[in-house]
Amino acid sequence: MRCSPRNSFAAAVRLAPILLAFAAAAQQPPPVEELLRHAIELHQKGDIAAAIPEYRAYLKRVPGNAMARSNLGAALAGAGQYEEAIVEYNKALEAQPGNASVRLNLSLAYYKAAKISEAAAELERITAGEPANRRAVLLLADCDLRLGENKKVIEILTPLERQSPDDKALIYMLGTALIRDHQADRGQVLIDRILRDGDSAEARLLMGATKLSVQDYAGALADFKRAVELNPSLPDLYSYYGMALAATGDTPNAETAFRKELETNPNDYTSNLQLGILLTQEDQHTEARERFEHALAVRPGDASARYQLAALDLQDGRTEIARTELEKLTHEIPQFVEAHVSLATAYYREKRKQDGDKERAIVLRLNAEKQAAEPGAQAR
Amino acid sequence: MAQEKALRLFAAFFFLLLPLSAAENDALCAACHASEAAHHRATPMAQALERVESCGILAAHPNLTFQDGPYRYAVVRRERATILTVTGNSEKLELPLLWAFGRGQAGQTYVFEFEGALYESRVSFYNATGALDLTIGATARKPQSITEAAGRRMDWLGARDCFACHSHNGVSDGKLHLESVAPGVGCGSCHGDVEKHAEAVRAGDATGAKLPHLAALSAEETADLCGRCHRTWSQIALSGPRGIPNVRFQPYRLLNSKCYDASDLRIRCTACHDPHGSLETNLAAYDRKCTACHAAAQHGKLCPVAKANCAGCHMPKIELPGAHARFTDHQIRIVRAGDPYPN
Repeated sequence: MRCSPRNSFAAAVRLAPILLAFAAAAQQPPPVEELLRHAIELHQKGDIAAAIPEYRAYLKRVPGNAMARSNLGAALAGAGQYEEAIVEYNKALEAQPGNASVRLNLSLAYYKAAKISEAAAELERITAGEPANRRAVLLLADCDLRLGENKKVIEILTPLERQSPDDKALIYMLGTALIRDHQADRGQVLIDRILRDGDSAEARLLMGATKLSVQDYAGALADFKRAVELNPSLPDLYSYYGMALAATGDTPNAETAFRKELETNPNDYTSNLQLGILLTQEDQHTEARERFEHALAVRPGDASARYQLAALDLQDGRTEIARTELEKLTHEIPQFVEAHVSLATAYYREKRKQDGDKERAIVLRLNAEKQAAEPGAQAR
Repeated sequence: MAQEKALRLFAAFFFLLLPLSAAENDALCAACHASEAAHHRATPMAQALERVESCGILAAHPNLTFQDGPYRYAVVRRERATILTVTGNSEKLELPLLWAFGRGQAGQTYVFEFEGALYESRVSFYNATGALDLTIGATARKPQSITEAAGRRMDWLGARDCFACHSHNGVSDGKLHLESVAPGVGCGSCHGDVEKHAEAVRAGDATGAKLPHLAALSAEETADLCGRCHRTWSQIALSGPRGIPNVRFQPYRLLNSKCYDASDLRIRCTACHDPHGSLETNLAAYDRKCTACHAAAQHGKLCPVAKANCAGCHMPKIELPGAHARFTDHQIRIVRAGDPYPN
């Protein structure tokens, strides 16, 4: 049979309803629970990249499912997309504000996103409701340590240390806080306890930190070197090592040490700040700025990081931006000599002689006060 | 005239083809700026660093000795090399000196290499005594070993900053490159990238030839420029030293003066000092700098004591402990007998 155009057309007309039915079936969305099941399955298999769109597709249709929302947050966090994870966790918590495990995940996401003070705030809410939540308490102590809240760390960990006198990680954290809080005697007791079990990186780090605080740089360096041999992946170790190296003038190795710390501990405030300072000295302003900004993200509002950024702005000719920040800093911390010095320079550059003179007078007064307070000043 | 200009440009082009030593760098600029280069060449700044083999002071004083406690120091010239020998406590170190810092107007300090690091010699030559004595700052610490007796290990930043001020071409990307150090303050130390400038001039690229217009700098900007080496007010205010040791940091002292005005050109460093010329030592020559402000027509306060040699009283010379030299205090003020040194 020959197939004429007319015949073909008639056949097509007959087939059309069948094809349309198939197309409709193909476009039919899968059952909503099937989407979630598939997303979870992919997530559990570790295929996070595939799980994320599945969760999103499900949540488009069932936006109020807090569990799915939390799972999406976890998948995003697993993919390193912490900011997006934070959004999802917060949405999940809107539906279930009392869900401590979601809140713990949120605080972890904040922590990973270098938003340490936000992480600490969430953890405080958890520990207020669940004081025995050990994981939350330890993470809170870690956050407070990073925020420089040494007294808070001591307050949080002292009772736990009595319950678990052999928990090395806990003792190490408490010891660090005590040494940073200039309570070297109490810190030494903890060091001795760690040393009972033989030489360890933790003990060496604490000993080195103690020596660093009293400017025994050679002694500190020896301890940090030994700690590196024992456990180079101990958090904060390379940060302290870098500080001791910088204090002895070994700037190139100090820079390497800070970079090593940041490889495994990118949110370390000290390494970010100190590396930024070294980079500024090497005229590498772009990377220095990144380091200072990261340090500031870890400790929002931190005066040292803000000052370094302002000083960098001043060096780079952004006088107005620098001056505005320096004015804020000197207002907040009237004894901040460095900020007054830089502010004087900013005023002079803006041809504001009287303001510049005023700042310089403040600097000279603060320096004189400092000098008068130094040991032996009365005898001079 | 045109031939002379062509010759100058040829000389500039010729020097661009070669790695530049201090003299060559100078010659590159001298091709067009002969007068400035010639004047600058004679200044102590241009001779702020010498390689030991060409050091005039060491050639003129081939056998220097000094004793400090148990340590005996000998700086002996052997042909063009100079060896620092330190003996004491049954030990001995012999170290070839590499660099001579300072021209000896006050003193000259030496740098040597030991175990892969640069060291500042613990003894320096002082022009006033024509002999060795302890380097400024060395008096504060007692050596614990023969190495410490020989000198102070220079940290990485310290070494870089010493060479950055006493030489040129040695620091790039914030790092010290000893292999390219050209001794002495060079044209580029203040003016910037002079090689790029010369290249642009040769290519007729007026925009690319532009260098910072230093004559247009304010008093504050000039103090910051000179302060890169003579220390800025900020550096001393933040890190010291306090007291008389800061008398040698002129920008800091000047900026503490009551009459200092950041935007008044009559008080900037270059109002009194020619950066291309030698230091004027005749006090009277500075009087008209003072009267530029302190003249009856424009200033209510005139000196009731004298009409000449203003700097002699208002900028007293102060003995810097350990330096065997007196420095002019640039904190301009009314000096009264018995007043403490204004910090």
